Amino acid sequence: MSLPPASYDPRRVCLNPFPDIDLGKHRRTIGVYTAGVLFALANWLFLDACIVSAHARTPWGQPDTPVPVHVTFVDWIPGICSLLGFFVINLIDKDRVRGEDGFGDARAVWRARLFLFLGFALMAGGLAGSVTVLVLKYVIPDLAEQFKYYGYANVAQNVALMLSVIVLWMAQNTSSEYEYNLTL
Amino acid sequence: MAASIRTVVFLAMVLAVGFLMIILSCVLYLNWLPLLVALTFVLAPLPNALFSHCGSDEFAGSYDGASSGPVDLGRFITAMIVTSGFALPIVLAHAQVIHNAACVMSIIGGGLVYGTILAYSAAFSQEESEFD
Repeated sequence: MSLPPASYDPRRVCLNPFPDIDLGKHRRTIGVYTAGVLFALANWLFLDACIVSAHARTPWGQPDTPVPVHVTFVDWIPGICSLLGFFVINLIDKDRVRGEDGFGDARAVWRARLFLFLGFALMAGGLAGSVTVLVLKYVIPDLAEQFKYYGYANVAQNVALMLSVIVLWMAQNTSSEYEYNLTL
Repeated sequence: MAASIRTVVFLAMVLAVGFLMIILSCVLYLNWLPLLVALTFVLAPLPNALFSHCGSDEFAGSYDGASSGPVDLGRFITAMIVTSGFALPIVLAHAQVIHNAACVMSIIGGGLVYGTILAYSAAFSQEESEFD
């Protein structure tokens, strides 16, 4: 008894190959749209938490139980870091980072990679900061689930921003796929 | 030609129903904030329309996959605005600024309006490209 011979790919690593999704020539368009959707979703998630927090009032008739926590500027800082990182990463010339084109000097490639590192460090810092805010401000004081939502929204915002940047980067890099096949 | 006239009439009716839903969601609950959804969805195709001619010079005009930075920026902003149009009533309803039913109605209305715009541009851009 033998299995039917699978189509053999010498670069394959796993036993079951990944599904080969081919979006064709619309891959770049779909990637850019997805990135935009993720970007807007991230910011709306955080704005939702802010608006809900601004509308949180003391229950009627109980003036001695104030709202324990609000969204303050501390919650904004991770999102601002992630946004800065987003812009830094997207302002980089992609050809410089690859650095195999021959034109331009090596220092430009070095600087482009430094900026890429800075951008991803800002994004990762934002993500870590949002987790920090979630833990320090919302989990450790053991607030109600209604208030922990502010922290979860903050983490989700930063995760979505990071996904958006990754999708956008991949979408813009796959545009010249016939060049890619030459270099592989 | 009769088919295109029928298409135009049908799309106009769908657009009117979409605006009707949005305006009803404002009127029934005496809160005019969902009207922002209509504005958002009307503005949504604008960046695509503005930036779509930036990438197409005479060298790369016919090839569809060759898109440049400005075209990508237009698509990014369009996707952002469309998502904002769907997210705005949800956020407003979550903060209990508008009623839940108003949120659902304005989302359906906004979807109809934007679907009309998409269908219109898809139906009539092909006819333009046949002539040139």
